[in-house]
Amino acid sequence: MKSLHPLTWWIWSLLTIGAVIRADSSWLAGSAMAAAAILVWRFAAAAPWAKSFWFSLKIGVFILIIRTIVGVLIGVPIPGTKLATLPIVPLPHWLAGIRIGGVITQERLLSSIHEGLIIIAVISLFGAAVSLTSPHKLLRVTPVAIYEFGVATVIATSALPNLVQSVSRIRRARALRGDEKPSWRSIALPLLEDSLSRSLELAAAMDARGFGVSRKRSRYRPITWHGVDSAIVLTSAALLAVTLTVFR
Amino acid sequence: MINFSRVSLVYPTSTKTILEDLSFEISEGEMVLVIGSTGTGKSSLLRLINGLVPHHTGGILAGDITVDGISTRLVRPGELSHLVGIVGQNPAQGFVTDIVEEELAFGMEALNIAPDLMRKRVEEILDLLALSHLRDRAISTLSGGEQQRVAIGSALVMNPKVLVLDEPTSALDPIAAEEVLSILHRLVHDLSLTVVIAEHRLERVIGFADRIIHIAGDGSAEINLPEEILKRSDIAPPIVHLARALGLSQVGLSVRDVRRMTEEIRTNGRDPEVIAPVQADLAISTLNLSLSYQGKPALRDVTTNIYNGEIVALMGRNGAGKSSLLTTLVGLNNEAKGTSEICGRSSKDLKGKARREIVGFIPQEPSDLLYGQSVKGECAQADKDNECAAGTALALLERIVPAIDPNTHPRDLSEGQRLALALAIVLSAQPQVLILDEPTRGLDYQAKTLLITLLKSFAKELNRSVLIATHDVELVAELCDRVIFLAEGEVVADGPTLEILLSSPAFAPQVAKVMSPRPWLTVSDVLRAVE
Repeated sequence: MKSLHPLTWWIWSLLTIGAVIRADSSWLAGSAMAAAAILVWRFAAAAPWAKSFWFSLKIGVFILIIRTIVGVLIGVPIPGTKLATLPIVPLPHWLAGIRIGGVITQERLLSSIHEGLIIIAVISLFGAAVSLTSPHKLLRVTPVAIYEFGVATVIATSALPNLVQSVSRIRRARALRGDEKPSWRSIALPLLEDSLSRSLELAAAMDARGFGVSRKRSRYRPITWHGVDSAIVLTSAALLAVTLTVFR
Repeated sequence: MINFSRVSLVYPTSTKTILEDLSFEISEGEMVLVIGSTGTGKSSLLRLINGLVPHHTGGILAGDITVDGISTRLVRPGELSHLVGIVGQNPAQGFVTDIVEEELAFGMEALNIAPDLMRKRVEEILDLLALSHLRDRAISTLSGGEQQRVAIGSALVMNPKVLVLDEPTSALDPIAAEEVLSILHRLVHDLSLTVVIAEHRLERVIGFADRIIHIAGDGSAEINLPEEILKRSDIAPPIVHLARALGLSQVGLSVRDVRRMTEEIRTNGRDPEVIAPVQADLAISTLNLSLSYQGKPALRDVTTNIYNGEIVALMGRNGAGKSSLLTTLVGLNNEAKGTSEICGRSSKDLKGKARREIVGFIPQEPSDLLYGQSVKGECAQADKDNECAAGTALALLERIVPAIDPNTHPRDLSEGQRLALALAIVLSAQPQVLILDEPTRGLDYQAKTLLITLLKSFAKELNRSVLIATHDVELVAELCDRVIFLAEGEVVADGPTLEILLSSPAFAPQVAKVMSPRPWLTVSDVLRAVE
């Protein structure tokens, strides 16, 4: 899989994200996630950024839970099968139309979960693209004309893997202080500092080595687009085309 | 080549002047060493040379800096990339690509250099730095020394006239450090490259330096010949301390010079008495400990015993399995085979409070242990964890390094102060065993002396054991009773410090090289011998 073009998985995941959003179907979202998981499991290199996908899944699940709770508790009730009734929190009259608590219906719960699933799918497909592509290779195909964008891309795409690396390092260290299950709050601070300083370091290194000085860049080795790349991109393009015609 | 005229530097959001009214000139083909305690602005000075400071960091720069006639004020750092190559403190964080060859080509690609010229230059650099066999390797799989060589290569490939290096050997074992430095030495002599280098471990670089810039810490700096600076400076390699202690007429900077001056001492000195170590109570014991990562063995059948009251150094080349052994001992690698016990308890069973009270571990980055908003908060948390009286940890810290403002954020402490804070927290749980991974990386001599005193009193007064993984032979010579030497995950040597360090010239401390073949490792050993 070494020979794949660095943009291939990014285009694939963007098109698939498009299809998932367009189709608005939990089934498609679920299968897209499953497909991404298999691809990452099978093809991701043993590199630090390869863990990003599993990390993004975790974030997705977290978002799903929060969203479902908020979606069920607050907002407009959807009539249907009654599951439970919560007491309604009295709100001042100027907040008319918003309601906290009340009847929880099956339909309301399902629609919240459905929306959450679509969000997870989008996040995890993004995570899959990060996992499957080396951020460094990606930089080499970024046009220099958008210099700031290039630097930002590298920092953004290397920040997530760095984050994953730092989390495990800090957790280990913390366990040694006798803190087996460190709280997120206590990890967040050193984590943020760590990844920020790494990203700054990387930006400084790129700057010092002349990135963006010349408007044109030469290539040491040409990066070529193969048939496999087209095939991968075509599958997701086909999926998008199908969703565009079927789900009107 | 490099010209600083009346340079002053102040960072934004800081009132402290980093450099004040600094003027000097470095000519072509000179190798200049920058020394100073941590936090005095060595890195800032280096980054001023290619304009990363203040272009990248912000800050107010007064005066003018020119490199080969170009003022750094007027151009972006990238536009100097063909003139100044810079290698940062941690090369792994500065790599922009994955493969060695691509990394070397990156800078030239950015400058739109024609592909055939690029290929020729990459080939030259691969040969020059003996990297040819690594050309297709992923950078992340290289050892520390190899990574450092790749970083130097990717700076040199641009044919710069100036090479700037920030602590290039701090992460390297003595052999890899020697390799890197001799390459630099050759470049200075063959290509007339100008090299500016910052380093704490003077014993490694002092022989190569033409001049020294000594940054005092109050903004002032002095540039002069090494002999002149080291006559007075308190930052000095062991060889200079030796010359001072023996009252030699002049300070010699190479082993050869000092050997000539100390011939008499070598013939007349007495051999040290050998005190057999008391090995009574077992602190750490391992039996056939093996560990592999993804099929690659990291530890092979490690069997060793460490006793109470012993200070043991774990040495070996980069990637020999030192960190793996330490993390397995403290119970972080539960997939390891074989047994490892600390104070009679299996490493795998250590958890929470019990772990804290049995073993204290300082990781390579002491800041990983810290998460409080202030020194005070950090210490209070430690007191709460250990259920001891409020202020215990803070009092301990006060004993280790006096006069740290308790309201400081841990991030703003110097390298040495941060290590002291981590130590205070770990020691406040009163662990039976203390384990440290590369504690002296980035520490200046002053902080190192402090660490040595502290660890000695921990081991000898409380009769507890200390295990340190380190590349720093001078630290081992001063501190440790015993050395365990690892190679490819196997124990290849295990014995008293004296025996192990003297048996390999690469790992011998500077004083031992001067005094060879007499068995003296440190300045105090020599003084005792001539008393």
